[in-house]
Order: sequence, then C-alpha cells, then structure tokens
Amino acid sequence: MKSRTLFVLMTAALTLLAGCAEIVQVGTAAGEGAGVLSPEDREIINRQAQSIAQAARPMTEKEEYYLGRGVAAAILGRYRLQADSRRNEYLNSIGRTIALSSDKPYVYGGYHFAVLDTDEVNAMACPGGLILISRGMLQRAGSEEEVAAIIAHEVGHVVNRDGVKAISAARWSQVVTSLGTDAAGRYGGKELADLTTLFEGSVTDVFKTIVVNGYSQEQEKTADENAMLYMRRAGYDPYGLPDFLARLAREQQGGDRRGFFSTHPGMTERLQLARSFLAAKAWRRTDHAARDQRFNAYRW
Amino acid sequence: MRKVFWLVLLGSLVTAAVAAAATFRVVTEEGAIRKDRKFFAPVVTRVPYGEVLQEQGRKGDWLMVSYKGRLGWIHKSAVQEQKVDWSSVSGGRAAETTRDEVALAGKGFTPEVEKSLRGKDPKMRYDLVNRVESYRLSDGQVENFIRAGNLREPGGEP
Repeated sequence: MKSRTLFVLMTAALTLLAGCAEIVQVGTAAGEGAGVLSPEDREIINRQAQSIAQAARPMTEKEEYYLGRGVAAAILGRYRLQADSRRNEYLNSIGRTIALSSDKPYVYGGYHFAVLDTDEVNAMACPGGLILISRGMLQRAGSEEEVAAIIAHEVGHVVNRDGVKAISAARWSQVVTSLGTDAAGRYGGKELADLTTLFEGSVTDVFKTIVVNGYSQEQEKTADENAMLYMRRAGYDPYGLPDFLARLAREQQGGDRRGFFSTHPGMTERLQLARSFLAAKAWRRTDHAARDQRFNAYRW
Repeated sequence: MRKVFWLVLLGSLVTAAVAAAATFRVVTEEGAIRKDRKFFAPVVTRVPYGEVLQEQGRKGDWLMVSYKGRLGWIHKSAVQEQKVDWSSVSGGRAAETTRDEVALAGKGFTPEVEKSLRGKDPKMRYDLVNRVESYRLSDGQVENFIRAGNLREPGGEP
C-alpha cells in the first residue's frame, strides 16, 4: 500500500475513533507538510471529520440563546409586556440573586426577567435565560420567598435545558445535516430559507411545550427540587416553594383548569413531592422578616 | 525513514492534545475576569465571546486564567474547556469532546437566521425581546439587594 493511501486511511480511522476534527486538522496539516497528502486530500479529510463531529453535536450556548429569543418573540406576540420599571428592577434583582446560586450562573446573553400584563397564571422559561412571568401569577405570591420560588423553578428549567429538549430529534437532526461545511456567513439563499424553516419549527416546538402542552412530570419535579436547592443556597426560605404550590393546589382543586393549570396538572402531587424533598433534607424554615417588609412595597 | 515520520506524527498529535488541555474559550457574550473567586469581585478585564484563555489554576467552580497579560478568575459556567478527552474514545461519547462553540458559531441558529425569520413573520415581537434584554442590573445593585434582604452571598454552600 502506498504511504499516501495508508495515511488517508489511518487519519480517517483516527477520526472515527476520536471523533475529533481538531486533531485531524493537526494530522492533515502534518501530512501535507511532509508531502504525503495533497491539499485536496487534506480538504476531503477535514470536511469528513467536520461532518462526523456535527452529526452528533448538541446545540451550542449561542444557538440556545437565539432559539430563546425566538420563543420569547413568539410569546410577546401574544401578550403585552408590563411596563413598570420599579417592579421590573425588583423582579430582576430576585432573579439575578437566584441565578447566581444556580448550577449555571452565567448564560450566553445573561438572565432577564419580565412580567406579562395578563390575569392568566403562567410562567415561562425560554431557552437561554429569558424568563417571562404573568402578572396573574405574581399577584398570587404572598411573599418575596414565593416570587423567588416561581423564578427558581423557571431557572431550573433553563439549567436543565428543558426548552431545548422540546425540539423534536428529527428536526434537530435535519438542522445538523442541512448545514454545509462552509465557513460562517456563506449560506446560500436556499440553505438560509431551509434553515429559517427549521428554526421556525424549533421555536414552535418549544413554544407548544411551554405554553400549550407543558413539561413532563419528571421535568417539573426536577425543576422544583432544583428551585428549593437554589433558594436555600441564596439564603431564601425553601419552604416558599411548597407555600406557593399550596395556593395553586387550592385553586386547582376549586376547578380552575385554564392556562397554567392545564399545563401544570397535579399541583397537589407536586406539593407533596416538594414537602417530602424538604423533609428528607431536614431543612427548616428560615426567617424572612426583612424581605417580607420590602415585598409589601412592591407586591403586584 | 518512514518509521521516523510516523513517530513524529504521533508525537505531534499527543503534543496537540496535551496543549489543548489547559485552554478555555469564553461562551458568554462577554466574560468577566475578576480579581478574586467571587461573583462581585472587581473586574480585571472583560473578554468577548470566543476568546481563548489559558488556565493557570483551578479552585472550586473558578478558574484562574490569563488573557492578554492580565491574570484573574472566571466562573466555570462562562467558559468551555477545549480539551481532548481520550478516556471517552472507547466509551462512544466522542461527540461531546468535539463540541466547539466557536467552530460552530457561524452555523445553525445564527443572527442571520433570526433576521431571516423576522422578515418572514412580523408577529414575532423581537422589539419587545430587545426591551426585556435591556433590563440590566450592575453587580453593585445585586450585591446591595442581597445585603438588604439578609440573603447569602452567592458561591458558597449553606
């Protein structure tokens, strides 16, 4: 076997073993420098390596950010934004405090929190850290601890990338395989149109899940548990979560099945799970007099 | 002669892997390198997305890094390690090791694709998304809020 053919085969084998485009590029550069590979051979191997790397790639942080902006743009096409700078600052202060105590304090575009001016009860975490909470939801909160609980639950969804997981595997597979190997900013008209359709579909997948269908019970349970963990780390009383769930459970038992109550069934079960979690951790209630006082100046 | 070539190639591959082990890239729009391992420590320098940082040390969730001659700490969630994990080669998780934000930065869901969708669907309220993103608080504002509410400084376990 000629050394050139052997080199190509070995480099391809290394690609499959390591799945590492970076290493292959080092190897092909060395091969070209040694006169074993032609520039064309190098290009073929590098393209092959890149497509293998892309085929199984997860969504990047930056893509998640753009997806989240799309989902938020769709939600804000349906709801009005509450313009109240004083309360916005208060909400974002609680949100930033919780986010810094989460497992992902930094996200590509930062965490941002806003109020939807509607009586409906809902809270939505867009991928990447844009969190939208309805006025109706915040009006039901009886303390800063309970507002922190709402936020911490949504931050839990962001950290777990639950929104991203709502995109159908088939659609993401198409996104990955439809991409050319050319450098940035060189999409052709058809390629951009196809990708825009896939982007639109992905936004719809996430929108449907967070606004219409809701997450799985397992995802909600994990977000609740993470919420209590983040609250405790931040110095909030983690019992703020079951306290708020208890309010919602009473309302749901009263027969309300709209909005949040349709996407979040089984509030009583969630309440029981949260109480069991806290009992297992043996965490006690903590004092929040200072925060109760300031909450009264902001309550929605 | 041929044997020497293969040895040199193997050596260069191993060297590349080792060299890559201590390199990180910033994966937030703007990373902050801080004086101490604290969220509200003074910012030594700010680093744009995709820039490469050299690891100088590690403690808990913080990495000591150098960037353009400046030394400081950055939180692990703001960076992505550019490391080749050889242990994953036989484990079938090789794709994880090749995830490189910057190599993929111009692909997939990009500002170009967002712009294309904006032109296609006027019901998408990106103007309001930009307004929400404009709600920003300084480190000092968050720190004061935490203190005034008898909350805990982030970064430590209770």
